[in-house]
Parts: sequence; C-alpha cells; structure tokens
Amino acid sequence: MVLILALPPVVLNGQQAQSASSQTSRYQAPVISDTGALKGTRQPIFFRHDIHAGQDQIPCMYCHYSAAVSSEPGIPSLQTCIGCHQVIGGSTPTHQAEIKKVRDAWRERKAPEWVRVHALPGFVRFPHMRHIKGLSTRLGVDANETCTTCHGDVKHTTQIEQVSTLRMGWCVRCHMKNEVTRDCSVCHY
Amino acid sequence: MTDSIDRRRFLKVLGVTGAGAAAVSACGIGPEPTERLIPYLVQPEDQIPGTATYYATTCRECAAGCGVRVRVREGRAVKLEGNPDSPINRGRLCARGQAAIQGLYNPDRVAHPMVRNASGTFEEIDWDGALQRVTAKVREAQGKGIVFLTGAEQSTFGDLVDEWMKQVGGRRLSYEAFGFEALRAGNRLAFGTATLPTYDFANAKYVLSFGADFLDTWLSPVEFQNGFSRAHAFDAGRPASMAKFVYVAPRLSLTGMNADEWIAAKPGTEGLLALAMAQVIMSEHLARVPADASRLVSVLAAHTPRAVAQMIGIDETTIARLGREFARSGGGLAVAGGMATQAANGAEVVAAVNILNYVVGSVGTLVKFGADLSVGATNTFADLTTLTSDMTDGRVALLFVHGTNPAHSLPGAFQQALAKVGYKVSFSSYLDETAASCDLILPDHHPLEQWGDSRPRAGVIGLQQPVVQPVFGTQPTGDVILKLSGKTGTFLDYLQAKWRARHAANFDQYWMDSLTKGGVYSDAPTRPVRLATTGATFSTAFAEVPSWGGDGDQTVVVFPHPALHDGRGANKPWLQELPDPVSKIAWHSWVEVHPDTAAKWGLATGDLLLLQSKFGGQKFPAWITRSVRPDVLAVPTGQGHSAYGRYAKDRSANAFELLGGQATVYGGRSFIVRTTASKTGEHQRRIATIEGNVRDLGMGTTEVLTLARAKALHPGDHPFHFEETPEYAKDAVEWWADRQRDKAEIGNYKGEQPRWGLAIDLSKCTGCSACVTACYAENNIATVGEELTERRREMAWLRLERYWRVDEHDNVQGAVSQPMLCQQCGNAPCEPVCPVYAAYHTPDGLNGQVYNRCVGTRYCSNNCPYKVRYFNWYNYAEKGGKYEAFPEPLSLLLNPDVTVREKGVMEKCTFCVQRIRGAQNQARLENRNVRDGDIVTACQQTCPSEAIVFGDLNDRNSRVFELAGNPRGYHVLAGLNTKPAITYLARVVAQDTASNG
Amino acid sequence: MAETPSPTTPTRVTYDYVTRTIARTLGTPSRGYFLLLGAAVTLLGIGIITLLYLLRYGLGLAGYSHPVYWAVFITCFVFWVGIAHSGTLISAILFLFRSGWRTAVYRTAEAMTVFAVMTAGLFPLIHIGRQWYFYWLIPYPNERGLWPNFKSPLIWDEFAIGTYFTVSTLFLIMGLIPDIAAVRDLATGWRKKLYALTSIGWTGSNEQWRHFTRGYLYLAALATPLVLSVHSVVSWDFAMALVPGWHATIFAPYFVAGAIYSGCGMVITLLTPIRTLFGLEELITVKHFENLAKLCLLTGSIVGYAYACEYFIAWYSGNPTERAAFWYRAFGPYWWATWTMIICNGFLPLLLWVKKIRTNITALFVISIFVNIGMWFERYVIIVVSLAGEPFTKWTNAVYNPTWADWGIMAGSFGWFFMWFLLFVKNFPAVSISEVKEVLPPPRSKPSKAHA
Repeated sequence: MVLILALPPVVLNGQQAQSASSQTSRYQAPVISDTGALKGTRQPIFFRHDIHAGQDQIPCMYCHYSAAVSSEPGIPSLQTCIGCHQVIGGSTPTHQAEIKKVRDAWRERKAPEWVRVHALPGFVRFPHMRHIKGLSTRLGVDANETCTTCHGDVKHTTQIEQVSTLRMGWCVRCHMKNEVTRDCSVCHY
Repeated sequence: MTDSIDRRRFLKVLGVTGAGAAAVSACGIGPEPTERLIPYLVQPEDQIPGTATYYATTCRECAAGCGVRVRVREGRAVKLEGNPDSPINRGRLCARGQAAIQGLYNPDRVAHPMVRNASGTFEEIDWDGALQRVTAKVREAQGKGIVFLTGAEQSTFGDLVDEWMKQVGGRRLSYEAFGFEALRAGNRLAFGTATLPTYDFANAKYVLSFGADFLDTWLSPVEFQNGFSRAHAFDAGRPASMAKFVYVAPRLSLTGMNADEWIAAKPGTEGLLALAMAQVIMSEHLARVPADASRLVSVLAAHTPRAVAQMIGIDETTIARLGREFARSGGGLAVAGGMATQAANGAEVVAAVNILNYVVGSVGTLVKFGADLSVGATNTFADLTTLTSDMTDGRVALLFVHGTNPAHSLPGAFQQALAKVGYKVSFSSYLDETAASCDLILPDHHPLEQWGDSRPRAGVIGLQQPVVQPVFGTQPTGDVILKLSGKTGTFLDYLQAKWRARHAANFDQYWMDSLTKGGVYSDAPTRPVRLATTGATFSTAFAEVPSWGGDGDQTVVVFPHPALHDGRGANKPWLQELPDPVSKIAWHSWVEVHPDTAAKWGLATGDLLLLQSKFGGQKFPAWITRSVRPDVLAVPTGQGHSAYGRYAKDRSANAFELLGGQATVYGGRSFIVRTTASKTGEHQRRIATIEGNVRDLGMGTTEVLTLARAKALHPGDHPFHFEETPEYAKDAVEWWADRQRDKAEIGNYKGEQPRWGLAIDLSKCTGCSACVTACYAENNIATVGEELTERRREMAWLRLERYWRVDEHDNVQGAVSQPMLCQQCGNAPCEPVCPVYAAYHTPDGLNGQVYNRCVGTRYCSNNCPYKVRYFNWYNYAEKGGKYEAFPEPLSLLLNPDVTVREKGVMEKCTFCVQRIRGAQNQARLENRNVRDGDIVTACQQTCPSEAIVFGDLNDRNSRVFELAGNPRGYHVLAGLNTKPAITYLARVVAQDTASNG
Repeated sequence: MAETPSPTTPTRVTYDYVTRTIARTLGTPSRGYFLLLGAAVTLLGIGIITLLYLLRYGLGLAGYSHPVYWAVFITCFVFWVGIAHSGTLISAILFLFRSGWRTAVYRTAEAMTVFAVMTAGLFPLIHIGRQWYFYWLIPYPNERGLWPNFKSPLIWDEFAIGTYFTVSTLFLIMGLIPDIAAVRDLATGWRKKLYALTSIGWTGSNEQWRHFTRGYLYLAALATPLVLSVHSVVSWDFAMALVPGWHATIFAPYFVAGAIYSGCGMVITLLTPIRTLFGLEELITVKHFENLAKLCLLTGSIVGYAYACEYFIAWYSGNPTERAAFWYRAFGPYWWATWTMIICNGFLPLLLWVKKIRTNITALFVISIFVNIGMWFERYVIIVVSLAGEPFTKWTNAVYNPTWADWGIMAGSFGWFFMWFLLFVKNFPAVSISEVKEVLPPPRSKPSKAHA
C-alpha cells in the first residue's frame, strides 16, 4: 500500500525533482504523431516509458515494485496508475485520450491486458533481484540504472520492444564477461 | 462439473503475473507468443509476485485438526505444509494433508448449485432459486422430521448447525465411517468417563498396540507418529536406547509393520492377552500397582497366561515375557482400537487394556484424560442406524448432508433409506454417492476457500481462513445456513462473534495473533481417573472367542486405507497413485491372503477372489503375503466408488459392501465379517504394485541392527564401513573429482563449495509415505494412472521400499521402510554416459538434470544402480491428452518454481534445487551465506517422524554432517564407489536377533 | 593379377559368359522380384506409420517398463550393425588374403553392409525421447556454446558408425566402377545415362587399371581395421556401463565375432534366393557357400565360447550381483530368450562340421535363418534381460513386453533394408564382373567383344 500512496517526486513538485535530477538538461520526450510507425509491441493503452521514466524520471521500481526483491519484476496494479492519473489528465488531446482509457478501466474495475514483451521459456529461471543486486554492486550504480543492461534504454523508448535476444548464448556471454557462474542448474530446474 | 475454465478466468483465479502462466507451459514449449499480463486492480499488500506467501489455517482432511501453512503464489495455493506452531502436528503433515489442495482444485468439483429435475438428472440452478427452494422445504418439513448429517464437526460451524436445527425443530447427527465408539465405551467401563485421553507416545518406554493403528488412521496419526518416533527411534528420546514396540493384531498394518515384535493373536482375544499380562504384573509385583487395583485380583486370577494361552493362540511363556517386559520398562503404554475392538467384546478389550495401563501406573502419566479428543466425538454408529430406520419409516421429511458420505460407507441400508426421505439436500462440493442421490446440491467452499475453525481437543482451537479466491461458483455453507435461518451477516461475523465471546479484551489483536499462529493453543489440565470397574463383565465377555456377523468360513478384516481412508481420498490422483505402505499397491483394492491359504486354494497373486458375506459380495485381486494370519483375509476400504469423480469412479471394489448395518452392543460397527471365499477364475493382469523381488545380496541396501549391537557402538565405529575406493583406483577418482572442481571454479562459486547431503534415519522412518506425496506436490510430478502404474511407469522421485523382517522360520516380524531417491552421487554413474551433458555434476555436488537439454537416450537410467531416474514416456501435461496429469483447474497447483517436464525427457529427485536456489538468492540479498536449516526439502519438511535431515556436508557444524558421521550411518551400494550424498542410519530393532528379509 | 585358376568355375564359363549372365540380372524384373520389392515397401510403410505415432504420442507406445529403458530399438540397432560386418570382412580382409573364392560373393556382401549400416543408423535417432533434437548429439558450433560429452560411449558410437558407413560406401562404389562400365556398354535408355555417369568415364585402359588396383588395395587395407573397431565401440556402449551382464572386458571380441557370424548368416540368407532368382548357379557355386559356412562355423564357435566364458566368470568371480544377473538370465522369466540364443548361436553352428550339411544349400539357408534369429535374441538378452534383472537394487521388478510399436519399427527396418538391397541388385551387377574374370583362365581364342 505504501508504495501506491506515496506519489513520485514529479507529482508532488516537479521543480524539486528536476533540481534533484542530474546536471544534464532534462530529457524531453518526443511528440509522436504517427504511432503506427513506431517499432515495438502495440499495447492496449499507449503507455510511454519515455514520458514516465525519461521525462518525468519516475524510478523503474516505482511501478515494477518487486524487481529488486523478487524473481518477478511485477507489473503495476491499475491503482498505481490511478494514483497519479486522478491528478494528471494529460497535456495533449492524444495523451488525454490514452489516460481516459486508464480512468475508464479503473471505473469499470477491468484491468487492461498488457501484451508481454520480454518472455522466457518455462524452463528458465531469471531471478531479477539477483541480477539487480549483482549489477548494481558491480557497476556501483543505483538499482534503477541496472535495468538497461537487458531491457535497453527504456527511458528514451516510446514503445517498448525486446532489444536483447534473451537467448541462452546471450545470457552465457554476459555471465562469462562478469565471471559469474555458468552452472546449468542455476537457471534450469 | 468438468467445464474447464477459460484462459481469462484461469488467469483471474491465478491472480496473475506472467510467472504462473509461464510455468504451466511445458518444458521445451515455452510461453505462448501472445501471452497477456493482466495486472491487479489493487495490489494485495501481502503478496509479492514471484515470492511465496504463507497463510496459516487448519487441515480438514480428518478430524485430528493439524495446523497447516498454505504456500500461495500469485493467488494460487501451490503447497500445504505443517504449521510448526501447532502442538498437534508440530509442523508435520501426512500424505492426506498434503493432498488437500487436490481437493481444492479438483476438476470434478460441483461448480454451482444443482437441482434434480423431473427426468431425474441434475440441472444447474442459481443460488437464489436454490435457497428459496430450501426455505420452502424447511417450512413444510417442520415437525415432520428434519435431520442435518455432518462429519466430525467440533467447530463453530457445528454450533451454527445445532442452533439452526434447534430453530427449525430438527436435529444434527455427526457420522464418521470409522468411529471410536469402543474406545469411549471402554473408557466408561474402566474409568467411568466416556472421553478420549491424549496418549504421550513420546515419553513411553514400551509401546504395546492392540490393533490400534496410531500411525495411519487411529485418532491423531501425525501427532502420534511424531511422538512415537521420538520414543521408538534409537538415540532419539534417550541416549543409546529405544522403546520396544509390540503389535497385537491379525494383520500387519502400516503401524504394525514398524513393530519390533508381532503377536498375531486370534482376532477377538486381544483383551484376554491384556488381562493375562496384567495378571502376571500383579502376581509378580513388577510395578507399584495402585491400591484400588486390588479389587481386580480375583478377576485376573481367572486369566493366568496358562488359562488363556490356548484361546489366544500364543504360548504362555510369550505372554508372561510380554507382561514382564511391559512392566519392567518403567513406562509402558498400551493402546487398543481398530481390529482388536471389532467384536461384541470391543468395549471390554479397551477396558482390559486400560487396566493394563493402570496397573503399571501409566494412566495419568502417559494416558492423560482431560483433553477430550474430538476425533471420536461423533454420534455412534447406533445413532446412524436409528436414523436409517427413521428414514426408512418415512420419519425424516428433510435431510441435509454435509462433509460425510454414508451412501458409500453404508451402501445397502442407507441408500435404500435415502429413497424414502422426502427431500434431500447435499452440501457436498463433489458429486459423491450421497450427493448423487440427493435432490438438491448446494456446493460448499473447500476448507481452503472459507472461514472456520475446529476444536480437535480441549484447549486447542484451529482457525481456518480462506487462502485463495473461490475456484468455482460455490458458497460457504456457513453463509448459506445464516441466510436460511434469516440471520444477517456472513459466517465470518458469526465466527468472530463466537471468538469475541471467548476473548473480548483487545479482540482485534487476539484475532490477528490467532490468524498468524493458526489458532489458539493451550494444554488442557489432566483429570485424574480412578478405576470404576470390578472387571466382573470380563469373565462373560471373554468366555469364548467371539464369532462374527455372517456365516461364511472365512474371517475377513476390513481396514481403513491409510491414504484413501473411508474413500474420501479416492478422488485425489496423488493419493490414488500413492502405493499403500504395506502392500505397495496403487489405484485399486486387494485382499491379503497368507501363502499357506493361497497354496490351499491354488491362488496366485492377482487372481480375483470373490468374498461373499450375507450382506453382500465383492471381487478383490489377491495379494499373497505373510503379513496376515493364515486364518484371516484382509481388505482395505476406499475404492469401489459408483460416483465421486473421474479418479474414483468404477475403480476396483467397495469393501463396505461386505459389512452389515447392525450396530454392536457398544454402539459401534464391526469391521470384521465372516464370508465365503471362492476363486472366480478371473485374473487381474497385473497388480499395480511397485513391490520388487525382495532379495538381499549383501550389498548393504537395507541395514538392520539389534538393540544390543547398536548399544555397543561407539562414536567412530563403522560397522558398515566399505573400502569405497580400491587402492589402485584412488588416483583416477581423485583426478576426476579435481576436474569437476576446476570446472566449478567460476565466479561466485569460487572457494568453499557446499556439498548438499541428506541423512535418513531408518529407525525413525515408519513408511507412512507422506514424503512421497509432498514430493509430488513440490516438484510437479505427474500422476500416470493405473494402466501405466501397472507398467511401472510411475514417476515418484521418492519411493518407499518396504522389506520384510523375517525370523529364522521365515515368519514376518515386521518391515523396514527405506526411502529411495536420487543419491546425488559424488562419483555418479549417470553423468559420464550422458551424450549431451543433460546429466552433469553441479559445483555444489548435485547430479544436475537439465530437462531442456535432455534428448532422452535414457543411458543415465540404465547406468544408475539405484534406479531412481524416471522417464516421461508421454506428455503428461498435454491438455486433453490421454494421460493428462493436470486437467484444469488441477494445473493451478503446479509449482511455478519447477519446470513442467515435456515428453521424452528424464527426471529425478533434485534435492528440491528450487528451494536451494531460493535460499541462496535470499542469502545473497542479505549479504550472508546460507545457514544450516535455511534449506528444507519437501520430504524433510513433511516427515511426521523427522527422519530426514538436509544440509551441507562440507559444513562441519551442520546437523547432516553430524549424522553422516553416526556409527549407524552407511551408504547404499557403497561398494560401487558411487560416493552417495545420502547417508542412511541403520534401523535398530529391539530384538535379540535382527533378521533381514 | 593372381594366376590361381579358380577351382570353382567350370570351363564353359568364359569372360563372355560372365558378362552376359551378370548383365542378365539387370534385365526386366520377374514377378517374383516385384513381389519381394512390394513386400519390402509395405513393411517400410508400416515402420513409417509407427514412427509417426511415436513422434506424436511419445515412446510410451513401445513396451518400455522401468527399469528396462533400452529394448527392441537398441536390439535392432546392434543387430543391423552386426549384419554390416561380414561385408567388409569378405571384401577387404579376404581380398588382402588373396582368397579367390570371395570374388563371386563380395559384391552382395558389400551392398548388404552399406544398407545394413544405413538401417542401423536410424535406430539411435528413433529410440531417443526427443527425436527432433537428435542433432544435439553431433558436435557443431552453436549459439549456446554447448558441446556433446565426448566421454559418453554414445558419442564414440556415432563416430564409429559414421566412419564405417563412409568407408564401406566408398569401397562399394569403387569396386563397382569397372563393372558399371561393362554393363554401360550393354545398357540402353535412362540406364545407359546412369551408368555412363556412375562409371565416371571408365575405359579400362591399363593406366586406369593400375590406379584402380592400387587404390582398391589401399582402401581394403584402410577398411580392414574398421571391421574390428566398429563393433568393439558398439560393444562399449554396454561394457562401459556398470550393469551386471554388460560390464565385461570380453565384450569387444565377443561382439565382433558375433557380428561376423550374423553377417555371414545374412549373406547366405541373401545369396540363396538371388542365386536362383538370377540363375547365377554357375558363378555362385556350392563351394562359395561352403566357405561361408566355414566362416560361420569359426565365428559361431567363438561366440559359443564367449557364452561359456561369461557364465564361468560370473560364477568364478564370486561377485553376487554377477551371479544373480546370469542366474536371472538363464532361469528367470526370460529364460526362453536366453535359450533360443544359446541354441541358435552356441550349438547350431556345430552342425556345420558335417560336410554334407555344409554343402547342402537348402540346409545352409535354414541354418542361416536361425543364425539371424539367434543373433537378434543375443542382443535382446544382453540388453533387455540384463536391465530387467538388474540385481543392484532389490526393488527392480520389470514387466517388459514389446508392443506393436516395437514390432512396427522393427518390421520397418527390414523393409527399409530389403528395399534398398533389391533395388541395388536390379540396377547394379550383384556379382563382380571384373573380379570373377580375374580368377578365370584367360581366353585362348579372340577376346570377347563384351569387354571393351
């Protein structure tokens, strides 16, 4: 519950969040005229990571709340969305249209069915927390910065697509590079 | 009923993240491309996707009231585990408890209210309509006889029913197929109290059971087994010592099989034996006999060993010896029940055994009255027979049935009586025989879906909370009754009201504590009892060996199946496929025949034998065994359902058919009957047993020690020591080991490696097979069904091998049960032969099995001397497949942490690697190492006798390391130099000569 | 080459006669031929259908029963590899020994070898649980960076069989070249084109002959060790495992002898009908059969000795599991299989001491059939019975019975083998024209037209 009640910095007061953010000038998400031209998977609601994570600098784990503590990253409950969007209605008509979908869904108590982008076969175990922990200590960065290793530059991606092959060779190469285990039974059981 | 739920609903039930769905997709197939992720509307506070949440509740599979903790993943109940807080089962659970979730997600549950229509078939009906009908029926039936039939219900729900029945002028009757009337009658006879005491097995120094199967079906099996193993196991309770266990009954049950000595007394004469022993004790002043026992002298004098030996069929010296042993042990505990209390003199038998306890002063110390066990707190069988006759005479206009299935356990009489009842309403969640012959079915929630409590004994109340959202359109009967009785609020309100009455102060806190602990636990004060009998009745009761109902020439013992019990387990594939601990037969019924008898009749194992009592006849395939008296046949209950779902229906024969419906003098039911037995000429192609040829080649598979030898052992001794590696092979083996280590020297595996190991104490293992079912539940092991079990394709990663202990005359003395699972060899034969490294050695010393790399050459299994590798001959996960093992919604209980195996791959015990990795992940998050005890394998967790210990053999301080060094420890087939990670501790038998079959 | 005037061929057999007789075998097929071919194809069809079932539903359709995890499929595998052996023996080893009598029979034997290996090679693929991943057994660089386990005898197997297949195929083709050239000059229509192509421009010049004979000699020398190596490696599939009844050092020679024994048996089985069907009585004479019979007698006796040895060691070693295993073999539920094998392989060949039987083709044919049956059962006993009665764990209790799936695949393998064989003998000279001529007295009159 706590997670959901505490609103992210940008909602409370954008200014603070901005000054808090890094020296580089604040990223402005592009205006998308033609969504059809976008790469990546089309979702029931045109959710833009580049606006939420990039422009508004909401930490990844604000929504994907269990990534650092569990094997599953978790997808935000609709309540999490509403937590902000009962306040934020959207600046442009297109945005408003999409946000309206969220509000309607909340009213109808019917969660949107997101299309899965990153999927592993049933015989592979990928504990997110282990990788986030490992990478953040190794690279000495905040946990929220580690996601890019596999998921790509989500903060600047308008519509999410799978950037890594997620194939075994890809996993193994990284494990070799970082000198971590290559024991089969760590992922396969 | 079998309407499978569509994907959307499936995911809704699932509570949803991708994890569950992905895990359900079988190995090699992977998640379907268009997989949807449906988020929660509101995130449940106590659930983290990908992480298990545990909810405490109470097991309702039997009335023992064990506390359980349900592991919930993404809103699905995936596993039941014992609740350590519960004083009853102390965190342990039996096979039936483990299988409870197969009741929850059973594909044959009644999904919605159903009413019998004009054509006599059932049709769906909505809840409001159903309730209106009932209200109407209740109104018109008032005064014409309303009866509410429940199972053992010492609970708030029971109180509610009573209240409602009072309100509508009806009465409640509680019925269990296997009641304990004799026990209550016997206690009244001996001590003037009809209550049931608690039995302190843990502190007994000598256990003597007169037919009481306290390890499998008698009163509170898990609790008793836990206690028993503490007393009976060598070195457990008292250093270098153990309690002897003598079993007196015409056949060896799971309980009897653990006996150090088996006294196969003539059925019905057990009471005489008890009296004779008491006589010996008193005449020889072997114990400080309570003063008031003196009044028994005259009675006992008439029962000297010499006088009764003839009748019992045991020579008097044995009787005298038993008496002396029992008294001299200074802590003798005698229990009576089951087969011993079936005759007209059942109550007297119990009384006689009470006296035996009394004269050695065990009453009050080991047998504590006060905490009245509610297990037997049902109405007597006599009450049920009166009900039956009332029904037949049309004195019952409206009958409600909840949580019991008399139409199966009382096939003839009750069935016919049912027809005479005006209107019959069943609350059963499954279409069992009784429900099938009712007019209206209002399916109840499964106990895991609803609120409730149960009072297994004074001082202990188990609380029961819903752990998953309802799978089907059922409604909790509590709510329904409240509605019907015009009360407001839900059953939860009612429950809380009752609890508030018990503890008003700071109730919310009290309630939350109880919820988290799973109930309130306290000890009831022990009530001293005095001898009430003069024993006058004995002389008449034991005058001659009792004759049984029926007129055949064969004495048939009908005993409760350890897993299926009275048949309620028959719709759960796990329990069907669980081989009976004694006969090792799965999926069908059988009749136990002694080899001599078989020879006389020219009977071979598998031949169908027709047993015909005057009440009914049934055919059973013969199982020829020395574990039964030559003049006795024995058949289990549980099978032979005519309804009750796809797993139970039309399977083998119903043993209850043989029994009569008359109550015995003490109001109980006799489960021993006279029949004629005739060969039918038919033959069951193969008995679906996994029993093997029991030949010991001195390879040291199952080791047994006499108590004397065990006592003589000192730390450092190795009676079973093998020169595991011959001199000439040492270098090669060490080189090989080093190579393995080099391979492992990568990344976070650098440095000290764990070497996971297991220690199994055969002195503790009783063969109850709870571990087997736990393994099925934890590791998504497929059940393959009767046909494939006959072809020995069962997948049980952990099997229990049962070996008879025979004396020099080849008479069975008991048995040793040995759990056989992958030994995770340090020098494993399976690894080098795999052409694709699917079987390989992990750095932490496991024999890894990579399902998705396996191509299925099966070379590994050929080369495994323990034969513990199992092959997926078909795709058991295939939806709609002929051998589908998890038809929806059964698939909801699949463990998302374990791959569901595809056809064509090998599988085997992994030491619950998913738990190991889970613990390692957690430890890493907390920047620490895995501690001893962090990892508990499923088999270890559930083992009621705590025979299994898991840990790191490289950790000098771990429990498993200590046990591995125990003088009794040995490796199976150590001579093959496989260097197993499992250390077995030899079974110790309290006997002069340990004989090994 | 050798001036040994063959005793086998009567004088009226001239170069010309040889060419014509053998060329005649390639003529329009008789009804009998089509009957045989039809039967073979039908069997193959059955096999294919069975295989489709196995792929769809899984190996459970076969009779497997814990702990018998290898059964009829592996039995057939070893059986066919065994068959394959005599071919190279006769063609290569006897060639090096300059034994003239081989010339008339070696072509058949070689063809048999190649097709037998082709058949055997299928079984490891059919018997694995996930047939569609069979290529994981082959070492090839892949994205996962995974390699097969070279410690596993199964991998050795795949190399041994592969090599053997390549070499024996080469050997067959090379021997064929001059003959194809010969028939090319007689053939017409599409066949002429085929032969023109496959005879790779053979003119029979001295130059070519010199290279040919040299090359053939070296290839023979190269092939010879394979005869011993292949079945040794196959035997290690079992000898390397610790199953009592498998784990024996005797296995390699034991298997090789058995292989050649079964091979010769099969050669006799095949030659007898061909001989009559194609009227080659003049070329393939009783003498040939007798020599084959002698070979059977020799190898058969070795096999018999091996059996005796196994049982003796089992007893002599005093190893309880070994003893139990062999007791189970002889007197357990599968006694019938064991005794079939012992009688067919241990005692039957002893009949061949008698010259009357040795020279009676019908008798030989019957015996050869039993040799094949016996050798099939030998593998069945070694594989199935050893696993079923594995005495390590007291809990083994197999109830193995082959099902329609087992028999279906086995039938298919026979169909597959005979289909190829029949097609071969109709389209290529089943008896070596050139080599038969080598052992003929050179013609005094003008050289025959036939041999350009």
